[in-house]
Amino acid sequence: MVVVLVGAIIVIAAQILDQKLHYTSTDVVPGPIVPGTQYPDEAFTGIDVPQPIDFSHKIHAGDNEINCMFCHTYARRSKVSGIPPLSKCMGCHTVIATEKPEIQKLTAMWEKGESPQWNKVHDLPDFVHFTHQRHLKRFLFDNQELDVSDAKRVCSMCHGDIAEMTVAKKSRPLTMGFCIRCHEANEGPSDCTKCHK
Amino acid sequence: MNQSKLDRRQFLKGLGLGGAGVALAGCDLPSYVTLEQGEENVISYLAPNEYVIPGVGVWYASTCVGCSAGCGIHGRVREGRVLKLEGNPDSGVNMGRLCQMGQAALQHHFNPDRIANPMVRKNGALVEASWDEAIALINEKSKSGKAAWVTGTISGHQRVMAQTHLGAIGGSRHYAVEQINANVWKTACKDIINDPNPEIHLEKAKVIFSLGADFLGTFISPVHFAASYAEFRTPPRGTLIQAEPAMSLTGGNADHWVGIKPGSETALALGVANALMNNHGVAGNGISNATKTLINKHDPETVAGICAVPVGRIEKIAASLAANSPSLVLAGGSATGNANGYSAAAAALMLNQMLGNIGTTITAGRELAYPQLDLVEGNSANLKDLAIDANEGKIDVLFVSGANPLFLAPKSLKMLEGWNKVGFKVVLSSMLDETAEAADVVLPLASSLEDWGSHIPSYAKGTRNLALQQPLMEPVFPNTRGFGDVVLALAKDAGAPGLDDYDDYYGYLRSAISALKKTDSEKEWNGFLMAGQTQIPSLGRKLSYSDGKITPTMNDSDDGNLTLIASARMGMWDGRGANLPWLQESPDQISKVVWDSWAELHPKTAKSLGIKDGDYINIKSASGEVTTRAFIYKGIHPGAIAVPIGRGHSALGRYAKDNGVNPLSILNGASDSKTGEIATTATKVSVKSAGKNKQMAKLMEIDRQHGRKLVATISADKQRRTEGGA
Amino acid sequence: MSSLFGNILKGWTDYTKGIEEGGHHEYEHMWGMVIDLDKCTGCNACSVACYAENNIATVGEEKYVARQSMQWLRVERYFDEPDIDPGAIDDENAMQERGASFLPMMCQQCNAATCEPVCPVAATYHTPDGLNAQIYNRCIGSRYCANNCPYRLRVFNFYSYTDENGAWPEPMKQQLNPDISVREKGVMEKCTFCIQRINAAKDKAKMENRQVTEGEVKTACQQTCPTQAIMFGDLLNPESKVTQAWVRQQIKLGKYKQDRENPTLRGYRIFEELNTDPSVLYLERVREE
Repeated sequence: MVVVLVGAIIVIAAQILDQKLHYTSTDVVPGPIVPGTQYPDEAFTGIDVPQPIDFSHKIHAGDNEINCMFCHTYARRSKVSGIPPLSKCMGCHTVIATEKPEIQKLTAMWEKGESPQWNKVHDLPDFVHFTHQRHLKRFLFDNQELDVSDAKRVCSMCHGDIAEMTVAKKSRPLTMGFCIRCHEANEGPSDCTKCHK
Repeated sequence: MNQSKLDRRQFLKGLGLGGAGVALAGCDLPSYVTLEQGEENVISYLAPNEYVIPGVGVWYASTCVGCSAGCGIHGRVREGRVLKLEGNPDSGVNMGRLCQMGQAALQHHFNPDRIANPMVRKNGALVEASWDEAIALINEKSKSGKAAWVTGTISGHQRVMAQTHLGAIGGSRHYAVEQINANVWKTACKDIINDPNPEIHLEKAKVIFSLGADFLGTFISPVHFAASYAEFRTPPRGTLIQAEPAMSLTGGNADHWVGIKPGSETALALGVANALMNNHGVAGNGISNATKTLINKHDPETVAGICAVPVGRIEKIAASLAANSPSLVLAGGSATGNANGYSAAAAALMLNQMLGNIGTTITAGRELAYPQLDLVEGNSANLKDLAIDANEGKIDVLFVSGANPLFLAPKSLKMLEGWNKVGFKVVLSSMLDETAEAADVVLPLASSLEDWGSHIPSYAKGTRNLALQQPLMEPVFPNTRGFGDVVLALAKDAGAPGLDDYDDYYGYLRSAISALKKTDSEKEWNGFLMAGQTQIPSLGRKLSYSDGKITPTMNDSDDGNLTLIASARMGMWDGRGANLPWLQESPDQISKVVWDSWAELHPKTAKSLGIKDGDYINIKSASGEVTTRAFIYKGIHPGAIAVPIGRGHSALGRYAKDNGVNPLSILNGASDSKTGEIATTATKVSVKSAGKNKQMAKLMEIDRQHGRKLVATISADKQRRTEGGA
Repeated sequence: MSSLFGNILKGWTDYTKGIEEGGHHEYEHMWGMVIDLDKCTGCNACSVACYAENNIATVGEEKYVARQSMQWLRVERYFDEPDIDPGAIDDENAMQERGASFLPMMCQQCNAATCEPVCPVAATYHTPDGLNAQIYNRCIGSRYCANNCPYRLRVFNFYSYTDENGAWPEPMKQQLNPDISVREKGVMEKCTFCIQRINAAKDKAKMENRQVTEGEVKTACQQTCPTQAIMFGDLLNPESKVTQAWVRQQIKLGKYKQDRENPTLRGYRIFEELNTDPSVLYLERVREE
């Protein structure tokens, strides 16, 4: 009898826990909202990761409202969004803000033909297969309610409000649970091999 | 007491359900800061091409240089690294397919034992030096005497370059050395049917009778022939009969495998010819009377005595050949690897003539309109010449690339003694093999996936192509240089005319091919590179037939010793594959042994010698001995012992060194009387147990299916009844 | 309560279905293979291609003897032919009169896989693609699955091969395929039918709003095979070459005993009688008697 009770408690507790982790349509969806999606809340702002150049996302994506995909051009064509090539930076910065010390660092690297060694902020484990391309298609390009200029809102689902950050921080947990809940809410694939390679 | 009501099944069910919830919760543990964050670097591109996308592989065409077949390859390049090779479907050589050696070329490219920097011999030891120093030393010494080049099979513009350099330094001789070749067959074809490289149509044959020619493994162009073999096996299905003393990969696929006494292949061919003429009414058009007399002397009974093959089997081969036309008779491998090898090839061609195959399954090939680009096909006769010339002091300066003469030459040739008499030896190599270790200057070469080049495939059907090789990635070892670049620079330094316009080999190659194709448009050049090949003009040949000299005599004293067969294998090849772990761990097709050499013995022989499977045995010839483990099976003639070529390196790298034995080293130095090819199946050895036993690393510990339906086999008749073709 | 359990019991009826009723999955694809043993020459190109594609570690002689080799695709070789020449091998003094028999064995991707139910952590399971998937980071290395596989086609990482003395000393590491994991010590692994290629093709098809087409996915072994003895494709696609071959051979999934109109056809599945329901169809080898 005791075992039956303990077992039942475990099962019920697990079920309640499980249900708590699943968002139903009545849940309040916080943060930047992509129409037609469900979105779990995380209130974490991340830790600082030092970078060779103090690149400010706020100036670019926030103040100047440059589309994320202008620089992260690979995101819609590949599994990785990629760091923009130096030539892209120099496309503007041969004329814009050339007097700033961080830009001068950049120019010096360009002239030497060196690329900066950025420190990876959003790094998934090596056994995870994640593709930007598919997610962008699902939430941005195939989404009737969003214009391509709203890319920021899709990106921030996993990357947080990057446009308000200077150097990017990892503000979402990017754990399996984080992924799964979004997949469940948006009817993404639930097959293990879809993400585990 | 109440607990007993919960049976085990329910209990597990409860746990299982709970487990599912807990497991899901476990995925959500608050690991906001993962260990990975900020730990790895991402380095952005500087100014990438439009088609370079991180995370997306791009396929580039190139050419495999693993053997002289010249298969077209596609290399998958991602983030600047080449990750996988596949066949180029547009290549007429391999139609998109690759053999294991082609697949493993990646491990040569990324090999940890590649030479990173030039080396120069100082006070008896090789020490690292700068390119300038090494080149200066070569320029100083290279005109100081009679110079020569040693290469493997070489073709295209690399050949032109090497010969230009040789001319500029006043050298004369170019030794093309290749242990695994079809020189005897090709020489016989040239003499007898007037075409050294005829087209061989396996797919048209209804019966293939192969005297040792391992066309699926090591004969001329194995991937191409494997593709033709697949067609040959499509209903109505052809029959493959293979006669050889030790089972090759092709033998392993034979419908009928005839284990014959080493060196008796010519006699077998004559016996079959005799049965064809006398029992099956084959006329023998075009066969000379002298040959017919010889055939008449070889009735099946006599031949049965020579070859140790039952009369019935000889009759059966003849009957099969007579009943199914067209057929195809080939000779190579072990059949041509003895002092009478040429006779075996001549006899095979004679059978083809008798059976009317010349013009049907053997047709005329095409000759390049630019003979200066054609293959200089390596052979082992050149290896012998090299040893003799070096010993006689005819060589003062030697350039070596793409060949490893110190590994390949039998001790009886005294190659090392000759080598030491050569005043100045330069080796261009990407690996520190036996030859490079003994050089005065070692120049580190780029791998085949980092280099430019053009190649003529050793075998082609229909039109002839120039196969192009292009770098698939930046050099793994930055201080290495391409073969063409090095030789171009050396030739320029030596004052070769007409090269001043070219800064590098790429420039030379591009301008040469543009001239060849009479175009210098960027677009067309890119088209050639994307295709990995470009067609070049060729001229048709015409076949004729005149009997070759067939001498069936075997110089065989039956002294109770065994005949050593140094067998060639796809995989290790001539030893170049030995430092690639994929190939070391890829089981041999027949013995299934990995990571070591082995000696094949017939159970009868093993029993009489008191040897068990896995015993170390001592194999001793007049010129040396090797010790390796016995592999006992029935795919070998009881009078033979077979040891595969390719292992037994004393250098080359961590995987190859001190791994296995090299049977070539103990060959007695006999060679084919016509072509001078070193005989690989003509050395007598004594064999005794070395008194140790250790379990061999091999894939199959059992050879039998024990009634399980693993590889099911049905008879060809049954297949014809169900799938047609009868 | 019922709503509480609804989530977990959802799909239970599907789960209890037998394989002959379509199993517990709504299959998207059913990847299958056909291997023509009459064309296979046993050359081993497939095996090496598999090493190259799938980051398989080489282990060296000692571990190979200890049966710790990692090959996902092995080419077996037998010398007897029980079906057409049962007694041929028995005479000790005779020579082989025929060649050998070669058998490329990769994971048979059984649809009633014996490895799946024994996994204590559900690291191996059946995917909606009809594959036996192995989730490496979930695997705890109990090795129950390998013990339960009648084909002996699962291999275990008894060691870590990633250090400098392992399978990929610098710069060999650079060859590793980033599309699939490098497995660590204590993890079971096996042939995946090149799932990374399947997933890439599916992603591409979805990007282009279409289905994966026949011939779009080629496994590494199939691609390299010099005789093209290996065919691969989707058994749910009636147009695919594999489906046609299965139909032609009158072999059906979900059976442990085939009821064929023409029993002389060459198709068979290895150990079908164990009801593992493998997805690999072999065509009998043919030899002249």
